[in-house]
Amino acid sequence: MPSHSRPVFLNLLQIRLPVAGIMSIAHRAAGVLLFLSIPFLAALLSVALSGQAGFLQAQTLLKQPIMQVILFLLLWALSHHFLAGIRYLLIDVHLGVQAPRYRQTAWAVLILSPLLALLLLWGLW
Amino acid sequence: MWQRASAIYLAGFIVYVLAWLMFTPPGDHEVLKYWLAGLGMWLATALFFLALLLHAWIGVRDVILDYVKLPGLRLAALATVFAFLLTCGLWVASILMGLL
Amino acid sequence: MEFRIYRYNPDVDQEPHLQTFEVETDRGMMLRDVLLEIKRRDESFAFRHSCGEGVCGSDGVNVNGRNRLACITPVSDYRKGPVVIRPFPGRPVIRDLVVDMSDFYRQYHAVDPWLKRKDPVPEQESLQTPEERARLDGLWECILCGCCSTSCPSFWWNPDKFLGPQALLSSWRFLADSRDQAEEQRLDDLDGPYKVFRCHTIMNCVDACPKHLNPTQAIGHIRNLMLKKSV
Repeated sequence: MPSHSRPVFLNLLQIRLPVAGIMSIAHRAAGVLLFLSIPFLAALLSVALSGQAGFLQAQTLLKQPIMQVILFLLLWALSHHFLAGIRYLLIDVHLGVQAPRYRQTAWAVLILSPLLALLLLWGLW
Repeated sequence: MWQRASAIYLAGFIVYVLAWLMFTPPGDHEVLKYWLAGLGMWLATALFFLALLLHAWIGVRDVILDYVKLPGLRLAALATVFAFLLTCGLWVASILMGLL
Repeated sequence: MEFRIYRYNPDVDQEPHLQTFEVETDRGMMLRDVLLEIKRRDESFAFRHSCGEGVCGSDGVNVNGRNRLACITPVSDYRKGPVVIRPFPGRPVIRDLVVDMSDFYRQYHAVDPWLKRKDPVPEQESLQTPEERARLDGLWECILCGCCSTSCPSFWWNPDKFLGPQALLSSWRFLADSRDQAEEQRLDDLDGPYKVFRCHTIMNCVDACPKHLNPTQAIGHIRNLMLKKSV
């Protein structure tokens, strides 16, 4: 018997992830991104509340193109995490846990999230 | 369970704030300060950040429990995240206290 | 049609590799028939199979990235090749498509998958109304094929601590059974952050199940019961 241990097939690029699984890992990634952005949210709030100068500073910063891109990504993460979260809460009360509904709602979350993010970006600025 | 409960509050608060920012954007610093310093809004905001930190803690803790197996490394990761969130919490608390 | 089959012989190979076979396919052929043809050509090829009709749960494999039962997966599901057949993800490979399912069986065993009574055994049947019996539908039909648990990322990362969709579905099968009298003990056995709570409702299991069962729904019932008992 050879001494090397048994191989395991776990190449994530070769394993097909169903749509609900894609939505799920995106929900987790979005959550981590939002978690990392908490200090920036706090900083923004702090600056905006520090006085009129600070408020204008925050406003100007947010209007920068690079900040608009970052803001879109954060709004997308928020939208996805939010919509996926609603989907999970509904599944918790047994709504949409059966086939084919759970796949349909997963698609809906994936497609609506960037659209919602765009809408929010447009509406906020 | 706390993850779900905090999620519901966070969802409600975020929808409210985003709607407010979209339909009645604060023109200047005074408007923002006045809005946040009102007792109802101030309490709701404080509760928001408490719920956010709790929700974030449960979420990231789950991620660490899933992926980080080595006991020492896991403890370090959990402690780091906890300290990070606690620091953010204290910072936000000082910001909010400054409004009173 | 072209088939690429995962091969690994521990006595000969250092690494697993894919071997290509050109197999003529006709209407009605199942993937198991293809595997049997390959076995006919190469005696050393190893894979588990038995009933040939999707009830024994022996021939679970990963086909083009999805877990299927080879005997009830029509070749016609794949309009053109190559069809890549690999063993179940996350399980140590013993040889070719044969994997070590020990963790899977251990977790099944860990939920005490049998009826537990406190009352003395009745003279004849343990009576059950049709409504009570209906609660077992979608649970008793599990054939322990492993398609669900080996498609679950949480089970990949923690097969020793997370029970997995199959074992949890089985646990609910007994919790939901009106004849079972060990609810409290069963729920106690599910305590902790790992056994149940590594389930993040990813739902790969529901997609994978060849009997169209829904472990996510069963796990949801377990969670609700746990919540009810804790309040």
